[in-house]
Amino acid sequence: MTLARAVEVLKAQAVVPAADGSLEVSGCFAADLMSDVLAFGREGSLLVTGLATDQAIRTAAIMHLVAVVIIEGKTVQADLVETAREEGVPVYQTPLSKYEACGLLMQAGLRPYRKGVTPN
Amino acid sequence: MDTRRLAHHEFPILGRAYFLGGRASTSVKQVLREAGVSEATVRRVAVACYEAEMNVVLHARSGYLALDIYPDRVVVAVIDKGPGIENLELAMTPGWSSASDEARALGFGAGMGLPNIRDQADKMEIQSGKGEGVRLFLTFNREGCESGVPAAGDSGTSS
Repeated sequence: MTLARAVEVLKAQAVVPAADGSLEVSGCFAADLMSDVLAFGREGSLLVTGLATDQAIRTAAIMHLVAVVIIEGKTVQADLVETAREEGVPVYQTPLSKYEACGLLMQAGLRPYRKGVTPN
Repeated sequence: MDTRRLAHHEFPILGRAYFLGGRASTSVKQVLREAGVSEATVRRVAVACYEAEMNVVLHARSGYLALDIYPDRVVVAVIDKGPGIENLELAMTPGWSSASDEARALGFGAGMGLPNIRDQADKMEIQSGKGEGVRLFLTFNREGCESGVPAAGDSGTSS
């Protein structure tokens, strides 16, 4: 799935848009705990999170995630935007809940990662 | 073991400076890339450094991260002045955490920090005790992962 398609599915608005919407999203990881993302996340995933702080961006940059989607229409602070620009991490905001966002992405064909299983 | 040190860098870490949390690790990532270290190794080092840096930010008064690059390995030391770890065995248990609500509000305190650091590094040594701060020493082998072969004991979470 392309990032542009994922953004459309999530009815999301760009906060820091990706330079290239045709970027491939290979999976999704949903978490508010960045330690879980650092321990279990996969490169090339989309991060769906309720955490609207710098740490979400830094985690995405370190893990080579494709983009960060902030749920529930939460306000995104200016310092997060600045960090995202510095780090080159696209950020989107969706009015959806985490549950609905994940449900819609899976319905649209974005498969979850399972430990030890290569995503198709 | 190759003893030729190619580069040495130190990055200060301020305790409780939440808004700065992750900056040292971002600098580590840049320095390693500029030194020509492979992306797979950069990622492992950056993930471990980020977790260790956040531990200092969340638990200690101050600390620093020292980075040494050798032809065959990357060595990281994270030293802090803080309350230390009373029970190391407990701290290494996945899911166990002594983090505050503040830490959790920043997305940390999942109890995956030290176990994940151990998974990312090829060698980990930790020295601590109650009131003694924490001294964490990590070694990441460059050969093996430089050619794309996962290190032994790979948890399947690193690429």
